[in-house]
Amino acid sequence: MDTEYRTLSLTRALCLPYIIHPSPWKLNRKINTVGSEWPWVIDRAARGFCLKSPAPPGPASSPLPDSSPRMLNPIQVLCSDITSLSLEPEPFASYTEADIISTVEFNHTGELLATGDKGGRVVIFQREPECKTEPYSQGEYNVYSTFQSHEPEFDYLKSLEIEEKINKIRWLPQQNAAHFLLSTNDKTIKLWKVSERDKRPEGYNLKDEEGRIKDLSTVTSLQVPVLKPMDLMVEVSPRRVFANAHTYHVNSISVNSDHETYMSADDLRINLWHLGITDRSFNIVDIKPVNMEDLTEVITAAEFHPHHCNLLVYSSSKGTLRLCDMREAALCDKHSKLFEEPEDPSNRSFFSEIISSVSDVKFSHSGRYLLTRDYLTAKVWDLNMENKPLEIYQVHDYLRSKLCSLYENDCIFDKFECAWNGSDSVIMTGAYNNFFRMFDRNTKRDVTLEASRESSKPRAVLKPRRVCQGGKRRKDDISVDSLDFTKKILHTAWHPTENIIAIAATNNLYIFQDKFN
Amino acid sequence: MEYKVEAHRIMSISLGKIYNSRVQRGGIKLHKNLLVSLVLRSARQVYLRDYYGGICLSAQQAREWCEGEYMDSEQDKLVPGSTESLPESDGQSEVAVDKQEPSNVVESHAALDVESEASGEQDHAENGVLDSGCSELKTPEESPEASPTCEVSNVVTTISSNCISGPPPSNPKQATETPNGCQTDDGESVEEKLHEPIVPHTCTNRKRSADDSELTDSLPKKTKVMSSTLISKNDEKKAETEEMDTSNVSSLITIFGSSFSGLLSSEDGAQPDSEAEDSDSGQICCDQMLKNLNPWSTAIVAF
Repeated sequence: MDTEYRTLSLTRALCLPYIIHPSPWKLNRKINTVGSEWPWVIDRAARGFCLKSPAPPGPASSPLPDSSPRMLNPIQVLCSDITSLSLEPEPFASYTEADIISTVEFNHTGELLATGDKGGRVVIFQREPECKTEPYSQGEYNVYSTFQSHEPEFDYLKSLEIEEKINKIRWLPQQNAAHFLLSTNDKTIKLWKVSERDKRPEGYNLKDEEGRIKDLSTVTSLQVPVLKPMDLMVEVSPRRVFANAHTYHVNSISVNSDHETYMSADDLRINLWHLGITDRSFNIVDIKPVNMEDLTEVITAAEFHPHHCNLLVYSSSKGTLRLCDMREAALCDKHSKLFEEPEDPSNRSFFSEIISSVSDVKFSHSGRYLLTRDYLTAKVWDLNMENKPLEIYQVHDYLRSKLCSLYENDCIFDKFECAWNGSDSVIMTGAYNNFFRMFDRNTKRDVTLEASRESSKPRAVLKPRRVCQGGKRRKDDISVDSLDFTKKILHTAWHPTENIIAIAATNNLYIFQDKFN
Repeated sequence: MEYKVEAHRIMSISLGKIYNSRVQRGGIKLHKNLLVSLVLRSARQVYLRDYYGGICLSAQQAREWCEGEYMDSEQDKLVPGSTESLPESDGQSEVAVDKQEPSNVVESHAALDVESEASGEQDHAENGVLDSGCSELKTPEESPEASPTCEVSNVVTTISSNCISGPPPSNPKQATETPNGCQTDDGESVEEKLHEPIVPHTCTNRKRSADDSELTDSLPKKTKVMSSTLISKNDEKKAETEEMDTSNVSSLITIFGSSFSGLLSSEDGAQPDSEAEDSDSGQICCDQMLKNLNPWSTAIVAF
């Protein structure tokens, strides 16, 4: 049974250029507007790099058939029709390494989607409000803002270059009109404020419209400046810089449910910060051995519990999860719970340690479950059961026999992320060949989809893919040997409430939507 | 002997990765280097274990001769070290016996490193005795076989050649901090210590068919009690080993499950016992090489 997934349109948000603004990070909302004051944007647009404003939606598609059985709701792609807007017939042929997307994150309402890339840039997308006249074309995501978050740095004490790659972005819960997000590279975490300005004062007494000081002799009367509407501008400004707290590479940040603190985790330590205080942090977990030669495991990911502000979980390279309670002690080296699955000795190999290393851990929205991803599997753990996971999902077990080659080409070290859907009933994770997989926990069904330009034409249906491992081979199956291991989907995100997913495939961002609710 | 080739290949690849990580942008990635070093260690164990398996089949006489010479010349110097070696090997075995304690791994790792540190101390005492050249491995001491000694040195030099060259240090601290693993000094002194209590078993260990005798003999040497079930488990493993015929390293290693040290497995109490059994015997022969080559330290250097 083949379910059908329909795509509406495709957003390809290719990396935006190094938009070095002269001052304070102002960006015209419609950055692709021809004739704007950002000539370099135009230049980049000529290479098809810019995301354009959405094309007017075409004729409404026929209502989705709701009679066909489906495992998951059909997924549709929503965005602008990039192909009709790009200025170059064959763009996207090449990209620089700086364009590779390194993190994707929805904010708490799902209205905003932030992506970070290896070049240290952050691009924020905003969902267009739903159009009443077009009930089938729900809000599309368009570029809202883009800014340079981190720059390459050099640690002259260690003679090491610090990469500007954005490792993680986390949104703060919105408390006023502005949006705040934390972005981190290997060493420094920054708090950014994203605010809109749609009014400007006019009628100054001492300055004229262009800002020049008026000749005082021409001033005959006083006027009160008034706020006049203007083109919407999105301003992004750095509010805090949390630096010099990590010796090792920061791999995770997580905002606490108290909305006041957050943690940052590197390979061996986890620090607790207050969002308002940048010159100090508390170390709450330290697994560094006295003698570094005794090192056996590192921290790979960490997250706060979504509801309990005292609980945090961190995963290790050994495949274990540790739940820590900050009420127990100031230093949470001693875990409250240890989640570990006994290793299957029959699967032992040279690379058992590598493939058991947990690359991502996510609490469920309910806070009851944990989702972890190691190289070949995704596991759902119940917080109340430590000795084994609740569910194990094989993401790409056909790679088990190819571990040696994957070790040689370094693919075995790829860190895949995982995601829950809003209701914690479906989990999603990426794989190779631009495939990503979804597993329905209730029906135990799963699907493999591909995020690619060819298979995601506007209003096209996302077709389920299959990897065959020998034996019966169906049409359109991909054999394991023809998988493209350079096309990997490491970063995925799921809208907090709706069935909208964001998939980062190297330098491209795909946003798919389930239209059928 | 495709296993040896495969393991060697993996070792070369791992060393290459560690070397390249030093020039990668963003500095050395601790996590990746840790994983690579674990793979390297596993491959090395398999490689040397397999190697010594072939060596031990011959040269029983040479072994005895080496033992005699070795014992006489090194007995005095090794007396202080011998007491250390026993707890070390026990520490390793104990680690395997303990159940599911995450600290086990740290302990066993610590045990290994205690060895290296102790070897370093030994080194100070025997600085004049041991030659610090990489090529000269005191092969009579390290392996009971005299005839394959040159092969042994070839093995180590092959490994060494993959290393980033660095001056062989006499100080364990320096040894661990040099960007290379050619630490034959440490390795030799370790092997000496380990050899003293367990020398009679080094050769027989390698023989898969001789596991029974090896285990029985080694029982009194260890302070912990090994159950007979472990021996039977080893038998099964060894039998499987001989039956299998594959060039795929991953499946190979499942066969060699027992070759993994207690570091890697702490889930099953019985299983790690058998593994520790074998691994100890493996480590006897391998540790000299293991200490020679501690690529993990290369990654630690930056930190």
